[in-house]
Amino acid sequence: MKSPFAYQPRPRPLQLASPGAAVAYLGAIVAVAFLYSSPVVLFAAGAAAVLAGRLAGADRAVRVALRMGVALALLIVVVNALVVSRGETVLARLGEWPLLGQVDVTFEAIVAGLSGGLRAAVTLVAAAVYSSCVDPDRVLRVLRPLAGRSALTATLVSRMVPVAAADASRLRDASRLRGPGAAPVGKAPLARRLLAGSLDRAVDVAATLELRGYSLDAPRARNRRARSRYDRRFYAVAALVLVAAIAGKALGADDFQTYPSVEIGLGPATLALAALVALSGLAPLRRRPRRSQPASHVDGPQRGLYRSKSSRRQEVARV
Amino acid sequence: MTGRRGTAVATALLLAALAAAGCGLGPGADVGDVRLTVTREFGAVPVLDRSLAAKESDTVMRLLEGEADVETRYGGGYVHSIDGVAEEQRDGDPYDWFFYVDGVESPIGAAEYELDGGERVWWDYRDWSTTNHVPAVVGSWPAPFADEQHPVAVECDLKPACGAVRQALEGEGVDVASGEPEKAIRVLVGTWDQLRGDPAARLIEEGPAESGVYADFDGSELVGLDEGGAPARSFAPDTGLVAATSRYGGLPVWVVTGATPAAVRGAAEALDTEHLRDHYAVAVENGKSTPLPLEGR
Repeated sequence: MKSPFAYQPRPRPLQLASPGAAVAYLGAIVAVAFLYSSPVVLFAAGAAAVLAGRLAGADRAVRVALRMGVALALLIVVVNALVVSRGETVLARLGEWPLLGQVDVTFEAIVAGLSGGLRAAVTLVAAAVYSSCVDPDRVLRVLRPLAGRSALTATLVSRMVPVAAADASRLRDASRLRGPGAAPVGKAPLARRLLAGSLDRAVDVAATLELRGYSLDAPRARNRRARSRYDRRFYAVAALVLVAAIAGKALGADDFQTYPSVEIGLGPATLALAALVALSGLAPLRRRPRRSQPASHVDGPQRGLYRSKSSRRQEVARV
Repeated sequence: MTGRRGTAVATALLLAALAAAGCGLGPGADVGDVRLTVTREFGAVPVLDRSLAAKESDTVMRLLEGEADVETRYGGGYVHSIDGVAEEQRDGDPYDWFFYVDGVESPIGAAEYELDGGERVWWDYRDWSTTNHVPAVVGSWPAPFADEQHPVAVECDLKPACGAVRQALEGEGVDVASGEPEKAIRVLVGTWDQLRGDPAARLIEEGPAESGVYADFDGSELVGLDEGGAPARSFAPDTGLVAATSRYGGLPVWVVTGATPAAVRGAAEALDTEHLRDHYAVAVENGKSTPLPLEGR
């Protein structure tokens, strides 16, 4: 079973765009999440990331990332509530704890944890969308002249992690299929087996890379891919979001305070920025192809590469 | 079924343990009133003075944050600014916020200092170029004597002054212990020649960096020091001193002294709120108190 975060080519704008444009677009959403603490803006950034993922067809990746993001956010909330005793509104007094001292759970600490958790969740969803929508090979090709080794490492990681996840899933299935009478397999043996398999695979990959001459200098890219017609759209949205975020920061759109009491600003600057950021999630929206337009003009040079089965079937039917 | 019952028993036990450990929902019950004072320049400039009802969960920081606009650093444990007055360098001298509870410098941070009710919390913004450690101050009188947590011992050889000191303490409802009880807050009363043999009192001769007291004795003269620790004024021979210090982080030791018996008597008669309120230490000259350190720079 393929990992939900594994790259899957689809004929959607985000996948068809060049890696630079896709990274700029998703990076702008993540940048907003790191620049702002206001839950209003963070929710908007989260909505943008989810919307972008769904429009790009990465529903499963978004769903799984959301689940993980919510779990991580809850963990951050709980830890912050126990570790930070600041804030005026004490909800519970939990007495003296070893290492932590007096633990007072305050409303303010919970809200601060929520803000941090929301940021983590947004980053996770955006990373999931990137992982499932941006071709790692194309990223490698773009980065190779700049930082060949780093690009290779990053690409290998982005390839190997889904493979390891699929391995884990297969091993779990295999252990389940031994029948109800079999002793349960603990997480540690499973992790050991997974690590051993990953190391074997790493050796194989290293040998293959060696044979293909990856240790030599990076060759100049000969067959540069033509730019996608969606690039301009993603670059423009990324620039707009970033400029608005920086300007909003200067204008006080991040009007949010957690300690000593919670104050969430809902001024026009905050609401306008939140609306813009949320709308930026529509950037991967696919325009319906015009009927009169011939199929060969749909997406220029990438058409042949990313045609879906259904479009191929349609072409065959037309012939 | 058994597992469910086990979980229920474990939950009940956990809740019982939490309740026994003094845990509960909400901020807890009222524990009494706490006096919150905020000043600047060694107490010379009043900023805030309020009596507030404290709850079980209240800390010094929570109390302050409820009354003033506070900016913190390092995870909320360190006060950076109060009502916009922030730590800074002024002409090369560092200024910062310090706090005292019942006239004693706190060994722990404001966020960890839990209040029991009845305390006097004093925040002061001051120059700490001479010392950042003033272990005890007199400005929260009648604290620390009124807290009833420690016995109060008056060590005195000068009859008229002793009576005045005892009277002042008893007037505030303090039971003065007889003899030399252990772990007592000591009040040393006598001329400087009599007191300088005491290890805690002798810290005054070693300067503000050791004692936290901006005063010194030069023969028969009491010398007032400025914020920089430099001599700023020599007082008349009959000028008394009321100051507090502490040795090795122990309980505060109050010093009621002067060069002459008349000076000690004058200092003893100044043990009241009118003379001591919001001062680190005072020099008492003809019934009039002069706050120390002196404004000199």
